[in-house]
Amino acid sequence: MRWTSSIRNLFLMPAVVWVLVFTIFPLGYSLYAAFHTVTSETVVNRMEVPRLDKEGNPVLRSDGTPRMKTEVVRETVTNWEFVGLGNFARLFTDKVLHEAIKVTAIFVGVGLAVQMTLGLALALLFNRNMPGRSLLRTIMILPIFATPVAAGYLFFTIFYEEGGPLGWTGIPWLSSPHWALVSVIIVDIWQWTPFCFLVFLAALQGIPDELMEAAKLDTNSSWSTFRNIVLPLMMPTIVIVLLLRFAEAMKVFDIVASLTVGGPGNATQSLSYLAFRTGLRFFDVGYASAIAYTLLALVMVVVTILFKRIRTIYA
Amino acid sequence: MTDSLCWLLAIAVTLVFFFPLYWAVSTSLRNPADTFTVTGIGIPFINFTPTLDNFRTELSTPEGFRALRTSLFVSISATLLALGLGMPAAYALARFRFWSNADITVWFLSQRVLPPVATLIPFYIVFRNIGLLDTPWALILINTTFVLPFVVVIMRQTFLDLPVELEESAMVDGASYFGAFLRIALPLAAPAAAATAMIIFAFTWNEFLFSSSLGITQTKMMPAHMAGAVDTRGIQFWFMATRALIAMVPPVLLALLAQRYIVRGLTLGAVKG
Repeated sequence: MRWTSSIRNLFLMPAVVWVLVFTIFPLGYSLYAAFHTVTSETVVNRMEVPRLDKEGNPVLRSDGTPRMKTEVVRETVTNWEFVGLGNFARLFTDKVLHEAIKVTAIFVGVGLAVQMTLGLALALLFNRNMPGRSLLRTIMILPIFATPVAAGYLFFTIFYEEGGPLGWTGIPWLSSPHWALVSVIIVDIWQWTPFCFLVFLAALQGIPDELMEAAKLDTNSSWSTFRNIVLPLMMPTIVIVLLLRFAEAMKVFDIVASLTVGGPGNATQSLSYLAFRTGLRFFDVGYASAIAYTLLALVMVVVTILFKRIRTIYA
Repeated sequence: MTDSLCWLLAIAVTLVFFFPLYWAVSTSLRNPADTFTVTGIGIPFINFTPTLDNFRTELSTPEGFRALRTSLFVSISATLLALGLGMPAAYALARFRFWSNADITVWFLSQRVLPPVATLIPFYIVFRNIGLLDTPWALILINTTFVLPFVVVIMRQTFLDLPVELEESAMVDGASYFGAFLRIALPLAAPAAAATAMIIFAFTWNEFLFSSSLGITQTKMMPAHMAGAVDTRGIQFWFMATRALIAMVPPVLLALLAQRYIVRGLTLGAVKG
Protein backbone atom coordinates (compact mmCIF):
# COMPACT_ATOMS: atom_id res chain seq x y z
CA MET A 1 0.00 0.00 0.00
CA ARG A 2 1.15 3.50 -0.65
CA TRP A 3 0.78 5.30 2.65
CA THR A 4 2.22 8.40 1.00
CA SER A 5 -0.74 9.12 -1.29
CA SER A 6 -1.63 12.77 -1.39
CA ILE A 7 -5.05 11.84 -0.04
CA ARG A 8 -3.32 12.01 3.35
CA ASN A 9 -3.67 15.79 3.20
CA LEU A 10 -7.45 15.51 2.98
CA PHE A 11 -7.36 13.63 6.27
CA LEU A 12 -4.96 15.92 8.06
CA MET A 13 -5.50 19.40 6.68
CA PRO A 14 -8.93 20.29 8.11
CA ALA A 15 -7.61 19.88 11.64
CA VAL A 16 -4.39 21.74 10.85
CA VAL A 17 -6.24 24.65 9.26
CA TRP A 18 -8.65 24.75 12.18
CA VAL A 19 -5.84 25.01 14.70
CA LEU A 20 -4.03 27.63 12.63
CA VAL A 21 -7.16 29.77 12.41
CA PHE A 22 -8.15 29.42 16.04
CA THR A 23 -4.80 29.63 17.79
CA ILE A 24 -2.18 31.23 15.59
CA PHE A 25 -4.49 34.05 14.55
CA PRO A 26 -5.55 35.03 18.10
CA LEU A 27 -1.95 34.81 19.25
CA GLY A 28 -0.86 37.10 16.43
CA TYR A 29 -3.70 39.48 17.23
CA SER A 30 -2.66 39.52 20.92
CA LEU A 31 0.92 40.26 20.00
CA TYR A 32 -0.24 43.13 17.78
CA ALA A 33 -2.44 44.42 20.61
CA ALA A 34 0.47 44.22 23.04
CA PHE A 35 2.21 46.96 21.07
CA HIS A 36 -0.80 49.25 21.25
CA THR A 37 -2.88 51.11 23.74
CA VAL A 38 -6.41 50.16 22.86
CA THR A 39 -9.23 52.38 23.95
CA SER A 40 -12.86 51.86 23.19
CA GLU A 41 -15.39 54.61 23.35
CA THR A 42 -19.02 54.76 22.51
CA VAL A 43 -19.75 57.54 20.09
CA VAL A 44 -23.33 58.78 20.09
CA ASN A 45 -24.42 60.34 16.83
CA ARG A 46 -27.72 62.17 16.52
CA MET A 47 -29.03 62.40 13.01
CA GLU A 48 -32.03 64.14 11.54
CA VAL A 49 -33.70 61.72 9.17
CA PRO A 50 -37.00 62.00 7.31
CA ARG A 51 -39.91 60.18 8.85
CA LEU A 52 -41.14 57.36 6.61
CA ASP A 53 -44.59 55.85 6.27
CA LYS A 54 -45.32 52.15 5.80
CA GLU A 55 -44.52 52.15 2.09
CA GLY A 56 -41.21 53.84 2.75
CA ASN A 57 -42.25 57.21 1.39
CA PRO A 58 -41.32 60.32 3.37
CA VAL A 59 -44.16 61.75 5.42
CA LEU A 60 -44.76 65.29 4.25
CA ARG A 61 -45.87 68.26 6.24
CA SER A 62 -48.71 70.39 4.91
CA ASP A 63 -46.20 72.77 3.37
CA GLY A 64 -44.60 69.92 1.40
CA THR A 65 -41.38 69.59 3.39
CA PRO A 66 -40.64 66.14 4.87
CA ARG A 67 -41.26 65.57 8.56
CA MET A 68 -38.00 64.90 10.36
CA LYS A 69 -37.12 62.80 13.38
CA THR A 70 -33.94 62.38 15.42
CA GLU A 71 -32.25 59.01 15.30
CA VAL A 72 -29.61 58.08 17.82
CA VAL A 73 -26.83 55.87 16.51
CA ARG A 74 -24.44 54.37 19.02
CA GLU A 75 -21.17 53.12 17.72
CA THR A 76 -18.28 51.56 19.57
CA VAL A 77 -15.10 53.00 18.20
CA THR A 78 -11.87 51.25 19.05
CA ASN A 79 -8.75 53.35 18.85
CA TRP A 80 -5.41 51.69 18.42
CA GLU A 81 -2.48 53.82 19.40
CA PHE A 82 0.94 52.37 18.71
CA VAL A 83 3.07 52.53 21.84
CA GLY A 84 5.95 50.29 20.84
CA LEU A 85 7.35 48.46 23.83
CA GLY A 86 5.42 50.67 26.24
CA ASN A 87 3.21 47.89 27.54
CA PHE A 88 6.19 45.62 28.03
CA ALA A 89 8.05 48.38 29.87
CA ARG A 90 5.13 48.67 32.29
CA LEU A 91 5.62 44.98 33.17
CA PHE A 92 8.84 45.84 34.97
CA THR A 93 7.40 48.46 37.26
CA ASP A 94 3.94 47.04 37.94
CA LYS A 95 3.83 45.84 41.57
CA VAL A 96 0.45 44.14 41.07
CA LEU A 97 1.93 42.06 38.27
CA HIS A 98 4.95 41.13 40.35
CA GLU A 99 2.66 39.95 43.11
CA ALA A 100 0.68 37.89 40.59
CA ILE A 101 3.90 36.26 39.39
CA LYS A 102 4.82 35.46 42.99
CA VAL A 103 1.35 34.04 43.69
CA THR A 104 1.46 31.89 40.55
CA ALA A 105 4.98 30.67 41.37
CA ILE A 106 4.01 29.68 44.93
CA PHE A 107 0.80 28.06 43.71
CA VAL A 108 2.65 26.02 41.10
CA GLY A 109 5.70 25.23 43.23
CA VAL A 110 3.96 24.18 46.43
CA GLY A 111 0.96 22.63 44.69
CA LEU A 112 3.02 20.47 42.36
CA ALA A 113 5.46 19.39 45.06
CA VAL A 114 2.62 18.15 47.26
CA GLN A 115 0.66 16.59 44.40
CA MET A 116 3.65 14.69 43.05
CA THR A 117 4.90 13.32 46.39
CA LEU A 118 1.46 12.57 47.74
CA GLY A 119 0.39 11.03 44.41
CA LEU A 120 3.46 8.79 44.38
CA ALA A 121 3.03 7.80 48.04
CA LEU A 122 -0.62 6.93 47.46
CA ALA A 123 0.22 4.95 44.34
CA LEU A 124 2.71 2.89 46.38
CA LEU A 125 0.11 2.48 49.11
CA PHE A 126 -2.57 1.25 46.70
CA ASN A 127 -0.19 -0.99 44.74
CA ARG A 128 -0.89 -4.09 46.80
CA ASN A 129 -3.71 -6.52 47.23
CA MET A 130 -6.36 -5.20 49.55
CA PRO A 131 -10.09 -5.77 49.83
CA GLY A 132 -12.19 -3.32 47.83
CA ARG A 133 -9.17 -1.80 46.13
CA SER A 134 -10.89 -0.98 42.85
CA LEU A 135 -13.77 0.68 44.68
CA LEU A 136 -11.36 2.84 46.69
CA ARG A 137 -9.47 3.69 43.50
CA THR A 138 -12.70 4.69 41.77
CA ILE A 139 -13.69 6.98 44.65
CA MET A 140 -10.19 8.46 44.66
CA ILE A 141 -10.39 9.58 41.04
CA LEU A 142 -13.77 11.33 41.33
CA PRO A 143 -12.22 14.80 41.94
CA ILE A 144 -10.30 14.79 38.64
CA PHE A 145 -13.33 15.55 36.52
CA ALA A 146 -15.22 17.65 39.04
CA THR A 147 -15.93 21.04 37.48
CA PRO A 148 -13.11 23.26 38.84
CA VAL A 149 -15.38 26.27 39.40
CA ALA A 150 -17.80 24.05 41.24
CA ALA A 151 -14.91 22.75 43.33
CA GLY A 152 -13.98 26.33 44.18
CA TYR A 153 -17.50 27.18 45.31
CA LEU A 154 -17.77 23.90 47.16
CA PHE A 155 -14.61 24.61 49.11
CA PHE A 156 -15.93 28.09 49.78
CA THR A 157 -18.65 26.47 51.85
CA ILE A 158 -16.10 24.16 53.46
CA PHE A 159 -13.63 26.92 54.32
CA TYR A 160 -16.42 29.17 55.61
CA GLU A 161 -15.08 30.39 58.91
CA GLU A 162 -18.30 30.62 60.90
CA GLY A 163 -19.97 27.25 61.01
CA GLY A 164 -18.18 25.57 58.10
CA PRO A 165 -16.92 22.02 58.68
CA LEU A 166 -13.38 23.35 59.17
CA GLY A 167 -14.50 26.26 61.33
CA TRP A 168 -13.38 24.48 64.52
CA THR A 169 -9.73 24.85 63.46
CA GLY A 170 -9.97 28.61 64.00
CA ILE A 171 -7.86 29.13 60.89
CA PRO A 172 -8.80 32.26 58.86
CA TRP A 173 -8.99 30.16 55.67
CA LEU A 174 -10.19 32.86 53.33
CA SER A 175 -9.81 36.12 55.24
CA SER A 176 -6.06 36.06 55.82
CA PRO A 177 -3.90 36.69 52.73
CA HIS A 178 -1.50 33.83 53.54
CA TRP A 179 -4.16 31.29 54.39
CA ALA A 180 -6.24 32.26 51.35
CA LEU A 181 -3.37 31.22 49.09
CA VAL A 182 -3.00 28.01 51.09
CA SER A 183 -6.72 27.37 50.60
CA VAL A 184 -6.46 27.85 46.83
CA ILE A 185 -3.54 25.43 46.77
CA ILE A 186 -5.50 22.89 48.86
CA VAL A 187 -8.32 22.87 46.29
CA ASP A 188 -5.82 22.23 43.51
CA ILE A 189 -4.20 19.47 45.58
CA TRP A 190 -7.61 17.90 46.18
CA GLN A 191 -8.40 17.94 42.49
CA TRP A 192 -5.08 16.88 40.99
CA THR A 193 -3.39 14.57 43.49
CA PRO A 194 -5.82 11.87 42.33
CA PHE A 195 -4.59 12.39 38.76
CA CYS A 196 -0.94 11.96 39.76
CA PHE A 197 -1.94 8.97 41.87
CA LEU A 198 -3.83 7.34 39.00
CA VAL A 199 -1.03 7.75 36.47
CA PHE A 200 1.67 6.64 38.90
CA LEU A 201 -0.38 3.61 39.87
CA ALA A 202 -0.71 2.68 36.19
CA ALA A 203 3.05 3.05 35.79
CA LEU A 204 3.74 0.97 38.91
CA GLN A 205 1.53 -1.80 37.66
CA GLY A 206 3.44 -1.76 34.41
CA ILE A 207 6.64 -2.82 36.17
CA PRO A 208 7.12 -6.54 35.52
CA ASP A 209 6.63 -8.74 38.59
CA GLU A 210 9.82 -10.70 37.88
CA LEU A 211 11.84 -7.53 38.26
CA MET A 212 10.33 -6.87 41.68
CA GLU A 213 10.84 -10.51 42.73
CA ALA A 214 14.48 -10.37 41.68
CA ALA A 215 14.97 -7.13 43.56
CA LYS A 216 13.48 -8.67 46.70
CA LEU A 217 16.01 -11.51 46.51
CA ASP A 218 18.84 -9.00 46.31
CA THR A 219 17.91 -6.79 49.17
CA ASN A 220 15.53 -6.76 52.06
CA SER A 221 15.21 -3.02 52.18
CA SER A 222 12.09 -1.84 50.42
CA TRP A 223 13.55 1.67 50.34
CA SER A 224 16.53 0.46 48.33
CA THR A 225 14.20 -1.42 45.94
CA PHE A 226 12.20 1.75 45.49
CA ARG A 227 15.27 3.93 45.09
CA ASN A 228 17.16 1.70 42.67
CA ILE A 229 14.46 -0.13 40.69
CA VAL A 230 11.07 1.55 40.96
CA LEU A 231 12.07 5.20 40.81
CA PRO A 232 14.33 4.95 37.73
CA LEU A 233 11.63 2.96 35.89
CA MET A 234 9.02 5.54 36.78
CA MET A 235 11.14 8.55 35.88
CA PRO A 236 9.75 9.06 32.35
CA THR A 237 6.20 9.00 33.74
CA ILE A 238 7.11 11.38 36.54
CA VAL A 239 8.59 13.84 34.05
CA ILE A 240 5.47 13.72 31.87
CA VAL A 241 3.10 14.21 34.80
CA LEU A 242 5.23 17.06 36.10
CA LEU A 243 5.19 18.75 32.71
CA LEU A 244 1.45 18.37 32.20
CA ARG A 245 0.68 19.56 35.69
CA PHE A 246 3.04 22.49 35.26
CA ALA A 247 1.36 23.61 32.05
CA GLU A 248 -2.09 23.28 33.60
CA ALA A 249 -1.23 24.84 36.96
CA MET A 250 0.33 27.90 35.32
CA LYS A 251 -3.08 28.65 33.77
CA VAL A 252 -4.93 28.59 37.10
CA PHE A 253 -8.04 30.72 36.83
CA ASP A 254 -11.20 28.86 37.80
CA ILE A 255 -10.37 28.18 41.45
CA VAL A 256 -9.20 31.74 42.01
CA ALA A 257 -12.30 33.16 40.33
CA SER A 258 -14.67 31.07 42.41
CA LEU A 259 -12.96 30.66 45.77
CA THR A 260 -11.28 33.98 46.48
CA VAL A 261 -11.87 36.33 43.51
CA GLY A 262 -8.15 37.03 43.73
CA GLY A 263 -8.36 38.40 47.26
CA PRO A 264 -8.06 39.33 49.99
CA GLY A 265 -6.38 42.29 48.31
CA ASN A 266 -4.36 40.69 45.53
CA ALA A 267 -3.13 37.84 47.71
CA THR A 268 -4.42 35.06 45.42
CA GLN A 269 -4.47 36.84 42.08
CA SER A 270 -2.83 34.53 39.54
CA LEU A 271 -1.37 35.70 36.23
CA SER A 272 -4.32 34.36 34.26
CA TYR A 273 -6.76 36.09 36.57
CA LEU A 274 -4.84 39.36 36.37
CA ALA A 275 -4.71 39.22 32.56
CA PHE A 276 -8.44 38.46 32.46
CA ARG A 277 -9.30 41.36 34.77
CA THR A 278 -7.00 43.81 33.01
CA GLY A 279 -8.46 42.92 29.62
CA LEU A 280 -12.15 42.34 30.22
CA ARG A 281 -12.84 44.28 33.40
CA PHE A 282 -10.59 47.33 32.99
CA PHE A 283 -10.50 47.03 29.17
CA ASP A 284 -6.79 47.72 29.07
CA VAL A 285 -6.46 45.35 26.14
CA GLY A 286 -2.90 46.17 25.16
CA TYR A 287 -1.45 45.70 28.62
CA ALA A 288 -3.55 42.57 29.23
CA SER A 289 -2.02 41.09 26.09
CA ALA A 290 1.46 41.91 27.36
CA ILE A 291 0.65 40.12 30.64
CA ALA A 292 -0.71 37.12 28.78
CA TYR A 293 2.48 36.98 26.72
CA THR A 294 4.52 37.08 29.93
CA LEU A 295 2.62 34.02 31.13
CA LEU A 296 3.11 32.33 27.77
CA ALA A 297 6.84 33.06 27.89
CA LEU A 298 7.18 31.65 31.41
CA VAL A 299 5.43 28.43 30.35
CA MET A 300 7.45 28.11 27.17
CA VAL A 301 10.79 28.43 28.96
CA VAL A 302 10.11 25.32 31.01
CA VAL A 303 8.35 23.39 28.27
CA THR A 304 11.13 24.00 25.76
CA ILE A 305 13.67 22.60 28.19
CA LEU A 306 11.67 19.38 28.36
CA PHE A 307 10.63 19.41 24.71
CA LYS A 308 13.16 16.88 23.40
CA ARG A 309 11.96 14.41 25.99
CA ILE A 310 8.31 14.83 24.96
CA ARG A 311 9.05 14.44 21.30
CA THR A 312 10.63 10.99 21.71
CA ILE A 313 7.33 9.69 23.09
CA TYR A 314 5.51 10.35 19.84
CA ALA A 315 8.28 9.31 17.47
CA MET B 1 -0.03 -6.62 60.00
CA THR B 2 1.46 -3.94 57.79
CA ASP B 3 -1.00 -4.96 55.10
CA SER B 4 -4.07 -4.27 57.22
CA LEU B 5 -2.49 -1.02 58.43
CA CYS B 6 -1.97 0.03 54.81
CA TRP B 7 -5.54 -0.93 54.09
CA LEU B 8 -6.86 1.27 56.89
CA LEU B 9 -4.63 4.11 55.75
CA ALA B 10 -5.92 3.75 52.18
CA ILE B 11 -9.50 3.90 53.43
CA ALA B 12 -8.74 6.97 55.54
CA VAL B 13 -7.13 8.82 52.62
CA THR B 14 -10.01 7.92 50.33
CA LEU B 15 -12.47 9.30 52.87
CA VAL B 16 -10.54 12.57 53.11
CA PHE B 17 -10.65 12.99 49.33
CA PHE B 18 -14.30 12.04 49.25
CA PHE B 19 -15.31 14.42 52.03
CA PRO B 20 -15.87 17.59 49.90
CA LEU B 21 -18.21 15.69 47.59
CA TYR B 22 -20.03 14.22 50.56
CA TRP B 23 -20.29 17.71 52.06
CA ALA B 24 -21.85 19.03 48.83
CA VAL B 25 -24.51 16.33 48.95
CA SER B 26 -25.14 16.95 52.63
CA THR B 27 -25.41 20.75 52.24
CA SER B 28 -27.67 20.50 49.21
CA LEU B 29 -30.14 18.34 51.13
CA ARG B 30 -30.55 20.82 54.01
CA ASN B 31 -33.06 23.54 54.56
CA PRO B 32 -31.34 26.87 53.86
CA ALA B 33 -31.85 27.79 57.53
CA ASP B 34 -30.02 24.65 58.64
CA THR B 35 -26.95 25.22 56.50
CA PHE B 36 -24.60 26.08 59.34
CA THR B 37 -26.52 24.83 62.33
CA VAL B 38 -26.35 21.14 61.57
CA THR B 39 -24.43 19.22 64.21
CA GLY B 40 -21.99 16.38 63.79
CA ILE B 41 -20.71 15.80 60.27
CA GLY B 42 -24.08 16.45 58.72
CA ILE B 43 -25.33 12.94 58.04
CA PRO B 44 -28.81 13.08 56.47
CA PHE B 45 -31.58 11.54 58.63
CA ILE B 46 -29.28 11.40 61.65
CA ASN B 47 -28.17 15.03 62.06
CA PHE B 48 -31.00 16.65 60.11
CA THR B 49 -34.08 15.92 58.05
CA PRO B 50 -33.12 15.97 54.38
CA THR B 51 -35.20 17.81 51.80
CA LEU B 52 -35.05 18.02 48.03
CA ASP B 53 -36.32 21.61 48.04
CA ASN B 54 -33.02 23.10 46.85
CA PHE B 55 -32.99 20.86 43.80
CA ARG B 56 -36.64 21.61 43.11
CA THR B 57 -36.09 25.37 43.32
CA GLU B 58 -32.93 25.19 41.28
CA LEU B 59 -34.34 23.14 38.43
CA SER B 60 -37.60 25.06 38.28
CA THR B 61 -35.95 28.42 37.55
CA PRO B 62 -35.74 29.19 33.84
CA GLU B 63 -32.11 30.28 34.29
CA GLY B 64 -31.06 26.98 35.80
CA PHE B 65 -32.83 25.02 33.11
CA ARG B 66 -31.41 27.19 30.35
CA ALA B 67 -27.87 26.86 31.70
CA LEU B 68 -28.22 23.10 31.68
CA ARG B 69 -29.53 23.16 28.11
CA THR B 70 -26.78 25.51 26.89
CA SER B 71 -24.13 23.37 28.57
CA LEU B 72 -25.46 20.26 26.88
CA PHE B 73 -25.75 21.89 23.46
CA VAL B 74 -22.28 23.44 23.52
CA SER B 75 -20.58 20.35 24.93
CA ILE B 76 -22.20 17.90 22.52
CA SER B 77 -21.58 20.11 19.48
CA ALA B 78 -17.96 20.77 20.36
CA THR B 79 -17.40 17.08 21.05
CA LEU B 80 -18.83 16.00 17.69
CA LEU B 81 -16.97 18.72 15.81
CA ALA B 82 -13.67 17.85 17.49
CA LEU B 83 -14.15 14.14 16.73
CA GLY B 84 -15.04 14.92 13.11
CA LEU B 85 -11.92 17.00 12.62
CA GLY B 86 -9.59 15.09 14.90
CA MET B 87 -10.18 11.46 13.98
CA PRO B 88 -9.21 11.76 10.30
CA ALA B 89 -6.15 13.74 11.35
CA ALA B 90 -5.28 11.09 13.94
CA TYR B 91 -5.71 8.39 11.32
CA ALA B 92 -3.48 10.28 8.89
CA LEU B 93 -0.78 10.65 11.56
CA ALA B 94 -1.01 6.95 12.43
CA ARG B 95 -0.94 5.57 8.90
CA PHE B 96 0.35 7.99 6.30
CA ARG B 97 3.88 9.30 6.22
CA PHE B 98 4.41 13.03 6.47
CA TRP B 99 7.65 14.94 6.70
CA SER B 100 7.63 14.27 10.42
CA ASN B 101 4.61 12.68 12.05
CA ALA B 102 6.06 13.14 15.53
CA ASP B 103 6.57 16.87 15.07
CA ILE B 104 3.05 17.36 13.74
CA THR B 105 1.62 15.42 16.69
CA VAL B 106 3.64 17.47 19.16
CA TRP B 107 2.47 20.63 17.38
CA PHE B 108 -1.14 19.62 18.04
CA LEU B 109 -0.21 18.90 21.63
CA SER B 110 1.50 22.19 22.17
CA GLN B 111 -1.90 23.83 22.24
CA ARG B 112 -2.66 22.25 25.59
CA VAL B 113 0.33 24.14 26.93
CA LEU B 114 -0.87 27.47 25.58
CA PRO B 115 -2.47 29.59 28.34
CA PRO B 116 -6.03 30.19 27.08
CA VAL B 117 -6.06 33.69 28.51
CA ALA B 118 -3.61 34.69 25.75
CA THR B 119 -6.35 34.07 23.19
CA LEU B 120 -9.27 35.34 25.28
CA ILE B 121 -9.12 39.00 24.33
CA PRO B 122 -8.73 38.50 20.57
CA PHE B 123 -11.64 36.04 20.61
CA TYR B 124 -13.70 38.52 22.61
CA ILE B 125 -13.03 41.39 20.22
CA VAL B 126 -13.45 39.38 17.02
CA PHE B 127 -16.63 37.64 18.18
CA ARG B 128 -18.03 40.99 19.31
CA ASN B 129 -17.29 42.53 15.92
CA ILE B 130 -18.92 39.72 13.94
CA GLY B 131 -21.88 39.49 16.31
CA LEU B 132 -21.14 36.05 17.75
CA LEU B 133 -20.60 37.28 21.31
CA ASP B 134 -23.05 35.69 23.73
CA THR B 135 -24.04 32.96 21.28
CA PRO B 136 -23.37 29.23 21.71
CA TRP B 137 -21.45 29.23 18.40
CA ALA B 138 -18.56 31.20 19.84
CA LEU B 139 -18.23 28.73 22.71
CA ILE B 140 -18.50 25.74 20.37
CA LEU B 141 -15.74 27.02 18.07
CA ILE B 142 -13.36 27.77 20.94
CA ASN B 143 -13.97 24.57 22.88
CA THR B 144 -13.50 22.50 19.74
CA THR B 145 -10.08 24.07 19.36
CA PHE B 146 -9.00 23.33 22.90
CA VAL B 147 -10.12 19.68 22.95
CA LEU B 148 -8.90 18.84 19.45
CA PRO B 149 -5.40 17.85 20.68
CA PHE B 150 -6.94 15.18 22.94
CA VAL B 151 -8.70 13.60 19.98
CA VAL B 152 -5.63 13.69 17.74
CA VAL B 153 -3.28 12.22 20.31
CA ILE B 154 -5.51 9.56 21.87
CA MET B 155 -6.96 8.37 18.58
CA ARG B 156 -3.57 8.34 16.85
CA GLN B 157 -2.33 5.91 19.48
CA THR B 158 -5.49 3.84 19.08
CA PHE B 159 -5.10 3.60 15.30
CA LEU B 160 -1.41 2.73 15.71
CA ASP B 161 -2.44 -0.21 17.90
CA LEU B 162 -4.74 -1.59 15.18
CA PRO B 163 -3.22 -4.05 12.70
CA VAL B 164 -2.66 -2.22 9.42
CA GLU B 165 -3.12 -5.49 7.47
CA LEU B 166 -6.90 -5.35 7.84
CA GLU B 167 -7.11 -2.01 6.06
CA GLU B 168 -4.56 -3.03 3.47
CA SER B 169 -6.42 -6.20 2.54
CA ALA B 170 -9.64 -4.21 2.26
CA MET B 171 -7.87 -1.88 -0.14
CA VAL B 172 -6.57 -4.81 -2.16
CA ASP B 173 -10.25 -5.77 -2.47
CA GLY B 174 -10.95 -2.35 -3.91
CA ALA B 175 -11.71 -0.12 -0.94
CA SER B 176 -10.51 3.46 -1.09
CA TYR B 177 -8.47 5.10 1.66
CA PHE B 178 -11.65 6.68 2.97
CA GLY B 179 -13.45 3.34 2.75
CA ALA B 180 -10.72 1.61 4.74
CA PHE B 181 -10.82 4.37 7.34
CA LEU B 182 -14.60 4.49 7.64
CA ARG B 183 -15.45 0.82 7.36
CA ILE B 184 -12.44 -0.95 8.88
CA ALA B 185 -10.46 1.32 11.20
CA LEU B 186 -13.25 3.42 12.66
CA PRO B 187 -15.49 0.56 13.89
CA LEU B 188 -12.47 -1.08 15.53
CA ALA B 189 -11.54 2.19 17.20
CA ALA B 190 -15.11 2.88 18.35
CA PRO B 191 -14.59 2.08 22.06
CA ALA B 192 -11.63 4.45 22.26
CA ALA B 193 -13.55 7.08 20.30
CA ALA B 194 -16.45 6.82 22.73
CA ALA B 195 -14.11 7.20 25.70
CA THR B 196 -12.42 10.18 24.03
CA ALA B 197 -15.82 11.72 23.43
CA MET B 198 -16.65 11.40 27.13
CA ILE B 199 -13.38 12.96 28.20
CA ILE B 200 -13.61 15.95 25.86
CA PHE B 201 -17.30 16.39 26.70
CA ALA B 202 -16.28 16.68 30.35
CA PHE B 203 -13.57 19.22 29.48
CA THR B 204 -15.96 21.38 27.49
CA TRP B 205 -18.58 21.11 30.19
CA ASN B 206 -16.08 22.22 32.85
CA GLU B 207 -14.54 25.08 30.88
CA PHE B 208 -15.02 28.39 32.68
CA LEU B 209 -12.73 31.17 31.39
CA PHE B 210 -14.39 31.48 27.99
CA SER B 211 -17.88 30.48 29.04
CA SER B 212 -17.92 33.19 31.68
CA SER B 213 -16.39 35.85 29.42
CA LEU B 214 -18.17 35.16 26.13
CA GLY B 215 -21.49 33.74 27.32
CA ILE B 216 -22.67 36.72 29.25
CA THR B 217 -26.44 36.64 29.52
CA GLN B 218 -28.14 34.45 26.94
CA THR B 219 -25.68 31.59 26.82
CA LYS B 220 -24.55 30.96 30.36
CA MET B 221 -23.25 27.44 30.79
CA MET B 222 -23.46 25.66 34.14
CA PRO B 223 -20.12 26.96 35.54
CA ALA B 224 -21.02 30.57 34.67
CA HIS B 225 -24.51 30.06 36.05
CA MET B 226 -23.00 28.87 39.29
CA ALA B 227 -21.17 32.15 39.73
CA GLY B 228 -24.66 33.65 39.98
CA ALA B 229 -25.26 31.97 43.34
CA VAL B 230 -23.21 34.83 44.71
CA ASP B 231 -25.68 37.66 44.44
CA THR B 232 -26.60 40.85 46.20
CA ARG B 233 -28.24 38.99 49.06
CA GLY B 234 -24.91 37.45 49.95
CA ILE B 235 -23.68 33.99 49.17
CA GLN B 236 -26.41 31.40 49.09
CA PHE B 237 -24.51 28.36 50.26
CA TRP B 238 -27.36 25.94 49.75
CA PHE B 239 -27.76 26.87 46.07
CA MET B 240 -24.03 26.91 45.65
CA ALA B 241 -23.76 23.32 46.86
CA THR B 242 -26.77 22.28 44.80
CA ARG B 243 -25.50 23.91 41.63
CA ALA B 244 -22.00 22.58 42.23
CA LEU B 245 -23.46 19.07 42.42
CA ILE B 246 -25.63 19.49 39.32
CA ALA B 247 -22.60 20.81 37.45
CA MET B 248 -20.26 18.08 38.64
CA VAL B 249 -22.40 15.02 38.15
CA PRO B 250 -22.34 14.72 34.33
CA PRO B 251 -18.57 15.04 33.83
CA VAL B 252 -17.78 12.84 36.82
CA LEU B 253 -20.16 10.10 35.66
CA LEU B 254 -18.79 10.18 32.13
CA ALA B 255 -15.26 10.01 33.47
CA LEU B 256 -16.17 6.91 35.44
CA LEU B 257 -17.52 5.30 32.27
CA ALA B 258 -14.31 6.13 30.46
CA GLN B 259 -12.12 5.06 33.37
CA ARG B 260 -9.99 2.71 31.31
CA TYR B 261 -8.91 5.56 29.05
CA ILE B 262 -8.43 8.32 31.60
CA VAL B 263 -4.72 7.74 32.10
CA ARG B 264 -4.00 7.62 28.39
CA GLY B 265 -6.32 10.55 27.77
CA LEU B 266 -5.10 12.90 30.43
CA THR B 267 -1.44 12.19 29.83
CA LEU B 268 -2.11 12.87 26.14
CA GLY B 269 -1.16 9.35 25.19
CA ALA B 270 2.22 9.49 26.93
CA VAL B 271 1.32 6.84 29.53
CA LYS B 272 -0.64 3.83 28.31
CA GLY B 273 -2.43 2.97 31.53
